[in-house]
Amino acid sequence: MYEAQRSLASPARNPRMATVIGRLLGAAFLVCFGTGLYSHFLQQPLPGMRFATRPEFLYQFTEGTHIIAGIACFPLLLAKLYIVFPDLFAYPPVRSFVHLLERASIALFVGASLVQITIGLLNTYQWYPWPFPFRQVHFALAWVLIGSLALHIGIKLPIIARFWRKRADYGPGTDHLTDAVPGERVAGTEAERLWGSSRPTGLTGRLIAYLDATPPIAEKVSRRGFLATVAVAVAAVVGLTAGQTFAPLDAVNVFGPRKKGVGQQGVPVNRTARQANVTEAVISGWMLTVAHGGVERSFTRTELERMPQTEVTLPIACVEGWSQMAAWRGVRLRDLADLVGAGEDTSFKLVSLEERGSFRQTQMGPEYVRDPLTLVALELNGETLDLEHGYPARMIAPGRPGVLQTKWLSRIEAITV
Amino acid sequence: MNQVSTASAALPLEQAAPGRGMRMARAMLVLLGAAGLAWGAWVLVDTVRVARLPGVALWVGAAIVVHDAVIAPLVFFGGVLLRRAGRRRAGVVVAVVQGTIVLGSIMTLIVVPEIVAQTQGQAPKNPTVLPLDYGLNLAVFWLVIAVGATAASAVLYARTRRAGRRPAR
Repeated sequence: MYEAQRSLASPARNPRMATVIGRLLGAAFLVCFGTGLYSHFLQQPLPGMRFATRPEFLYQFTEGTHIIAGIACFPLLLAKLYIVFPDLFAYPPVRSFVHLLERASIALFVGASLVQITIGLLNTYQWYPWPFPFRQVHFALAWVLIGSLALHIGIKLPIIARFWRKRADYGPGTDHLTDAVPGERVAGTEAERLWGSSRPTGLTGRLIAYLDATPPIAEKVSRRGFLATVAVAVAAVVGLTAGQTFAPLDAVNVFGPRKKGVGQQGVPVNRTARQANVTEAVISGWMLTVAHGGVERSFTRTELERMPQTEVTLPIACVEGWSQMAAWRGVRLRDLADLVGAGEDTSFKLVSLEERGSFRQTQMGPEYVRDPLTLVALELNGETLDLEHGYPARMIAPGRPGVLQTKWLSRIEAITV
Repeated sequence: MNQVSTASAALPLEQAAPGRGMRMARAMLVLLGAAGLAWGAWVLVDTVRVARLPGVALWVGAAIVVHDAVIAPLVFFGGVLLRRAGRRRAGVVVAVVQGTIVLGSIMTLIVVPEIVAQTQGQAPKNPTVLPLDYGLNLAVFWLVIAVGATAASAVLYARTRRAGRRPAR
């Protein structure tokens, strides 16, 4: 085991590097956790929760950041695992019960991290090749990860503190963990003690001799090369995908799962009419019903068109991280709410024509209902709303996830407390 | 943490540099972490049907195996082979080639599932999902980084040469 560790020694594998990369990865995890929680509570608010409606690109920003930080985790996590990989062969494998717990917690941390970023990435591709529900497991694993992160920092805190700042000398007792000088095999004596005075023979011996004869790269070159690789990899995976939400990078969006402007009326679609089973037959004779207490009023599309129209520019921002700015035209929701006599602090239930789907029915708090930018939209980018975008009418509100911007809207009902 | 007592030298790193503040901070973090883990476990069993839980465990276990038994050894032996192949060449050049291969591999790791997903899942039913030619883009990406690496190697090699000594290893 010691021999394995020694063979894996590399100038980039030291506690200082683990601290440097670990800080970045930890920050990325925290950003993902914070933005993920925000998105979660927007979709499943706790009783009495209220949200900010400005800036109107708020959700576009938080969820775009969630996906960008998540994709940056791929090179960062792989780099972190590369640095600490020799610890897998720690000898003796288990020193005590506490040490066993520590190693088990690391295994869980590593496994859960890899699964979390993988299913998150594949979700943006809308591909679900696993035997469990995505949303629930992604949410539960987020807590497992953030707990494991705190635990990990708690266990490693002395090392983190010692290696936090760049220094020429990290104090005694750290030499064997920093760089072994090429040529001078620091661990040689230990290996000799373990195997006796001679090297193992046979295949193992030959393999080790082969590895030993491999020329090392100078420490400084190796360390700088490692850091440069991580930096360029993060820049590449982020830079070549972030254009799906961050417009200035649209031109270099070659790997993003969505492309700005691709879709009916220049807007991507998360769920098509066919996927939602909304056909011409389903929308024939459509009326929008607005209800509050005993009052119920229904409007045809023509009646809605005759009401005062408002134009807004708001993004569709999806949980999958893409977003698209668009011009919407329609009736203010608060005007409709006023017509049925709903008060300032009334929440509404929004119902779609689609038969099933977890977002067929959603709720909207009063902060969005009363917002002057919240519309029952009838037009998109100067044209009648396409069926794919929710014709005859859809919701559009500032700062909400796309799944809550109910398409094929059929009923708006006040929730009486 | 500017002074590290020499007495800590003999101890494993985890036990070095004790202090009241440090002990408190560690205890808090460990408790917080345990609470987070427990809450995560509860959320998992509360929201996911029991029959689905072995699938979650399987994926977490498989992720560890795929990394530790496939990816890490590939990286290790890839590095060894590359350094042997580059025996007589400058270390900077080997480092640039190594970095380029790693960069391309990470991008490939992210983009290949994207290519597969174009025929799986929901994408075939929705033309606005995965609308690009990712295979072509990945090939162009490899080409661009290969050209970039060649140029960078040439510049770095010339620079070490000009420094008037044998190329830095």
